[in-house]
Amino acid sequence: MNILVTGCSRGVGLEICSVLLREGHTVYGVARSYTDEFIALEQQYSGKLFFKSIDLSDSEGARKSVFKEFITNDVVLHGYVNNAAIAYDDIVTNLNLDRLKAMYEVNVFTPMMITKYAIRNMLLHKTKGSIIHISSISVHTGYKGLAMYASSKGALEAFSKDTAREWGPLGIRSNVVVPGFMATAMSASLTEDQRDKIYARTSLKAATSVNSVAETVAFLLSDKACSITGQNVHVDNGTI
Amino acid sequence: MEQKILEIINEIRAAKNLEPVAELKPETRLREDLALTSFDLAELTVKIEDEFDIDIFEDGLVSTIGEIYAKLA
Ligand SMILES: NC(=O)c1ccc[n+]([C@@H]2O[C@H](COP(=O)([O-])OP(=O)(O)OC[C@H]3O[C@@H](n4cnc5c(N)ncnc54)[C@H](OP(=O)(O)O)[C@@H]3O)[C@@H](O)[C@H]2O)c1
Repeated sequence: MNILVTGCSRGVGLEICSVLLREGHTVYGVARSYTDEFIALEQQYSGKLFFKSIDLSDSEGARKSVFKEFITNDVVLHGYVNNAAIAYDDIVTNLNLDRLKAMYEVNVFTPMMITKYAIRNMLLHKTKGSIIHISSISVHTGYKGLAMYASSKGALEAFSKDTAREWGPLGIRSNVVVPGFMATAMSASLTEDQRDKIYARTSLKAATSVNSVAETVAFLLSDKACSITGQNVHVDNGTI
Repeated sequence: MEQKILEIINEIRAAKNLEPVAELKPETRLREDLALTSFDLAELTVKIEDEFDIDIFEDGLVSTIGEIYAKLA
């Protein structure tokens, strides 16, 4: 399968690329930075991994940068993993509209535009493709400081459910993976104390495994998940 | 270009087990006369875009063959 993965330069996105490559798929990765870790994967899976440096905060340019110059109609796209995101974290009374809009560009508007063109590619090739959005447990369990960020992920969950309903008749699926807190760059600014509090709210009392998230994404992309669509799959160490 | 549009429309109709149409007139309506649904129109858009690099639905709805010709002219 040919899979587009955004935010491939580190963290969860890099791990998703790694799992998909191990399964023999071809991966088209997008991020701003071309990291050493990604280059190492490219060397290991030569001819199976492609990269384009794209700033996904430009939702208007996404069609050109992603589809005209990278995933052209010659590429038969089977899957799109919307993983790239930024977290704007602050209490609501400090909400800064420019920062909120900038976050929505990356987390919501560009992914919606990419979904539009990914489905168009699937229509052209009559592919029963699979779309996966990466959400966050903060949509379902409240955390101080994450109201703005969680709202962007909540938008994706709603978008995914309705996309699933709309395109199901053509065999195109859309699902969401909802990770709990993981030890990545995104959560690096949390103090040990904050981390412990977050982990204490989970059943397994630990950070969510990045690999478990990536393996779940790979499963949802595969035919093994052919009857799963419109779902939010929680990979969150049991945050209940 | 008109021939290519006819081909694409007949391809979409064939997949729905509909008879091919012999000719298209500018006033031919996509939904009512050609029995195309919103999914068919999405497929039509994608195929026209692949062929002519123009997104006919980019700014608003298109309902007749004449309107498609105008966008591609
Ligand atoms: N970490 C957590 O605890 C946690 C919890 C729940 C959900 N999540 C979600 O999991 C996903 C992955 O997060 P992570 O923890 O792996 O975060 P991360 O380490 O910060 O990685 C984010 C990725 O997104 C890319 N990215 C960010 N802004 C971009 C832009 N403007 N254009 C292109 N690429 C951009 C980054 O690449 P460049 O910087 O190179 O552009 C990077 O590859 C995100 O959707 C996040 O919201 C994370």
